[in-house]
Amino acid sequence: MTTTAMTTAASGIPVRPATRANWESPAEYNYEHFRTKHLLLDARRTVETSGVLPGDPAPDFTLPRSAGGGNLRLSDLRGKPVVLHFGSFT
Amino acid sequence: MVRQAHPGPAVPPYATIEQKLADAEAYRREAGITWPVLADDLDGTVHQTYGGLTDPAYLIDADGRVAYYNMWAYSPVLHQAIEALLAQGGRGVVLGEGIDRTPHLLPAMADGWPGIRRGLSQSYVDMETSLPGSATALWLTHQLRPLLAPVALRATPLPPAVQAGILLGVSLLVGAQIARLQHARATGDASPGPRRPGHRVDRWQAG
Repeated sequence: MTTTAMTTAASGIPVRPATRANWESPAEYNYEHFRTKHLLLDARRTVETSGVLPGDPAPDFTLPRSAGGGNLRLSDLRGKPVVLHFGSFT
Repeated sequence: MVRQAHPGPAVPPYATIEQKLADAEAYRREAGITWPVLADDLDGTVHQTYGGLTDPAYLIDADGRVAYYNMWAYSPVLHQAIEALLAQGGRGVVLGEGIDRTPHLLPAMADGWPGIRRGLSQSYVDMETSLPGSATALWLTHQLRPLLAPVALRATPLPPAVQAGILLGVSLLVGAQIARLQHARATGDASPGPRRPGHRVDRWQAG
C-alpha cells in the first residue's frame, strides 16, 4: 500500500495504525469466497479497535446515493447529529 | 453499501460502481429505508477508513466528530447513544468512552439469512466451510425470527423490568444446573441427572 492510500479519501486525516495494519488491497477487499480468515479479521479488528475513535473528527467523504440521487458529502450535514451505518447486500 | 460479504453466482464481487448502486437501491426498497443509502467506491476506501468491520455504526455529532462507535451495530445501543447526544446538546462523546465493542450477534441471527440466500448455494457452502454449522444456524434462527425479533430487532433497549426478569430467569436456570451437578457429585453419580431403569448405561453394566 502506498503512503497516499494511508490518508482518508478527502480529508487527509491519517488512518489509525490499527486500521492500517488490516487494510485490504482491492483484490483482497472484493474476495470471491468468504473464508475463515474473514471471520478472524473481523475479530482482530474488534480487539484492536480498528476504525475512527470517539472524539476524533469523522473522516469526510463524498459518495453517490442510490437511485441517482446525486452525491452526498458528509461534511454538508455538519450542524446536526448523523448516523453512519455500513452494511452489505449479502 | 460495502462489498459483497457473501458472494455467489447471482451476487458476484462488485466490478462496477453501477452494480453497487443497483444493489444499494434494491436493498433500500426491500428494507423500506427512508434515509440516503450511499455506495462506497470499489476499493472500500471509506469502509476501510472507518475500520472495515462487517456491520459498524457511528454516531457523529454536530461538529463532525465521532460521538459513539457501535462496532457491531445494535439499534438499542445506538438509540441510547442518540438520546444521550441530544440530551447534551448534540455535541461531544456520549455514554462513557463512546464505544461499544460487544459483538452483537442477535440482529444477524434474526435477519442474516436473506443475505446468504441471495448467494445460494455458494454463499451457504462458503460460510459452512469458514465456520461449520454457521450457515445452518443462520437458517434455523431465521425460522425462529418471530421469537427472536422482540429482542434482536428492537429499536429501543428492553425495559429495565424485562431485563431484570431475563437476568433472574437465566440466574435461576444456571443455579438449578449447578445445584444438580453438585447433587450428582455428592451422591457419587458421575452422570448429571437421575438414572432411570433401562438407561443405556445400566444395560451396558448389566451386559
